[in-house]
This record gives sequence, structure tokens and C-alpha cells, in this order.
Amino acid sequence: MLRLVNNFRNLTITKESLSINYTNYQPVRWRKPIWLPVAKTKIFKVPPRTVIPEEEKVELMRLYNSYRTQIKSLRRYLTYKYCTKFLASEDPEEQKKIFEEDFARCIEINKKWNEEQNVLREKRVAEELEVNLDFARNRIELELIKQEEKLQKVEEIVRREKEQGKSFITSENIDEAIEYALHNSVDYNFAIDLNGEKIFGRENNTQEVKQKVSVLANI
Amino acid sequence: MPYKYIGRTTSFKGKTLWEIVGNLKNFGVGRIVVRSVFERYPEPSYMKILKVETLPTPEVVSVDKKTFRGKPFPRPIVIESSSYKTDYRLIPKVEEEKYCKRIEEKDVRIFPRTFEFPPIMKELILREMKEKGEKLTEVPPLEIVYSKCSKKTKYRIAKDGEEPNVEIVMGFGTPVSPSLYEGIKL
Repeated sequence: MLRLVNNFRNLTITKESLSINYTNYQPVRWRKPIWLPVAKTKIFKVPPRTVIPEEEKVELMRLYNSYRTQIKSLRRYLTYKYCTKFLASEDPEEQKKIFEEDFARCIEINKKWNEEQNVLREKRVAEELEVNLDFARNRIELELIKQEEKLQKVEEIVRREKEQGKSFITSENIDEAIEYALHNSVDYNFAIDLNGEKIFGRENNTQEVKQKVSVLANI
Repeated sequence: MPYKYIGRTTSFKGKTLWEIVGNLKNFGVGRIVVRSVFERYPEPSYMKILKVETLPTPEVVSVDKKTFRGKPFPRPIVIESSSYKTDYRLIPKVEEEKYCKRIEEKDVRIFPRTFEFPPIMKELILREMKEKGEKLTEVPPLEIVYSKCSKKTKYRIAKDGEEPNVEIVMGFGTPVSPSLYEGIKL
């Protein structure tokens, strides 16, 4: 208690005491994360209770109690004095007038903001529209190119088919084709001898040209 | 089971309510139980058990007629949330009468209704009044805010014209232990 009073007496504010050394400034003293368990050396430690002498305890209690009472009283006084909630009941007409003035001012500001926002919005919408139109135009162009390519592919197919169509058997040349087929019979059957030579024809016709095929190479 | 406390010291002393009540005939209905934390007051604080119910959790609900600091509560109370605390003590039947005997009531403490503003604030209020055009040399006193609960039980606030018998002032006040301030000008 004596120390406390002496401290108050020695309370002189100097320039050094006000300035903070920021290089060593540590606002929170981090020790260890909260989820870590109690240190092994401290598990069974029973810290002794601080014993305050009776007369000091009584005096401290008195000081704290009186401090709290004083602060509570002052706080309530200031609340009642300045809080708008309690002021409202004083003069309703005045309060209404103040409210209306404030409301008008707010509306004015709001209108101004709206106008500013309107200009910005229109600009933004126009830009967005332009971007969208560009995008659409590009897409149309790409689509047309795609269609063109597709058409060309189809035409290519048609052309090829037409060319092939010349060799098709039709009702006009069917007799010739039949005649040709009958006179040029093709026999795909063959046998292979030990030398790997193909012997065509179902019947063993020696006059046929023998074709050499390397059977071993195919294995 | 004896408890062995590890870690911080505790102000509790005794058993849980279930440990006491569970061993008694008829769950100790009609017996008197005290919390050791309330034994610091000169007036007796005790609870008379009226009914006991068990809960699924290791807790017990008991309906008690409570007396705190010599004043009985108007209605019975339910002890549920604090029944687990190892702070209860059973009063033997022989001592019940002696323990619960009321001691004589002291004089009622009368607290002041108002006190003065702090010096700078007083000056401020005076200036404000001057600006408003009010001619006042004295600032009206500040009304003291007391605890709602304590106001009813522990003391009374002075009525108009009544002299308070307890001093409450703005500022330092008179120390209770002047020996601490020896050699200091207050």
C-alpha cells in the first residue's frame, strides 16, 4: 500500500517514459500454444496461495469497492445526460425537427451518390455491351468458317464418289460384266510346297505361274 | 474416496452432494448440509434437504430450503449445477440445532443516497450551467448507484432527511487500516 502511494507521488511524466523503443516492442508475450499440455515439470506443482495481510486485504477491498461505486455512478450520470435514448423524451418537437433535417441531409447525399453511380453504371453497361457484341461477331465469323469447311469436306466426298461411280455396274453394262466375269474366273485357292512356293488353283494346274512366297519370313 | 488435488489450490473443502446424500437413509431428506465457502460469514448459511433426485450424469438434483447469512430464502431452491462441487459438509443431527441458531441481527447499515461530483467534473458542470444562463453556485449531488441485489439484503439506502451511518464519499475516503499510511500525508 505504501509502495502504491509512493508510486503515485513519484508519477512524473518525462519524455523518455512516453517514447516506446519499437525495436524491442512486444505487445503480446507469446509463450506456447494453448493446446499444448502442462509442462512435465509443472504437472504436480502446487503453487502456494498468495497471502495478503488482513488489514491490507480489508483496505484494498474498501478501495476497490469505493472505486467501482464511484465509476458506476458517474457512468450512469453521463449515460443519462448524453445518451440520445434518454434525450428523446425531453422535447419531441425539437427531436422531430432534428431528425427531419438529418433525414433530408441524408437523402441529399444519397441522391448525389445515386447520380454518380448512374454515370458509372451507364458507362459500364455500354462497355459490357460492346464486349458482348464483339464476342458475338467473332462467334458468327468462326461459325461461317466452320460451315465452309464442312461444305468443302462434303463436296470432296461427293466428287470422289462420282469418280468411283464410273466403274459401277449398271443395267446398261451388266451383260458385258457378266460375260467378263464368266470368262475371267479367278481362283484364290492355293497350296504351299516345302520351298514356300504358292501353287494357285484348286486343281493342280502346272501351267499356272508359280509365285514364290517366303512362308518362313511370315512366321 | 479421498481427493488428492493437483495443480492450482482450491477453496473447496468437503465432498460432493451425492457422496453425502447417497449414503444417507432416505437420501438425507430433512438433514442439513452446508457449503464450506459460505462458512466464512459469521451468520449461519445452510440448506435443509427436502427432496433428492438422481440424474444420468454423475450429478444430483436436490430441492433445498436455503438460508444464507442467517436469512431464509422465501422459496425452496433446486441445486443441480453446483451439486458436483466437492464443497459440501453434512451437519450431524446433534449439532443441527446449535448450528442453525440465529444470531442477533446487527443494526441496519444505512448508506447515503448521494455524494459529490469529482472536482474537475464539478467545475465543468458549473461552467455548462453558466453558459446555459442558470445561476447556481452549488452543483446538485450525484446519485450513487448500488448493486440491485445487495441493496435488498445487506443494507438500506437513506431516505430523505435520514442520516446515513456508513460513510461513502467521492475520492479516497477514510482508510480502514490507518497503520498502512503511517507517515504519509493523505
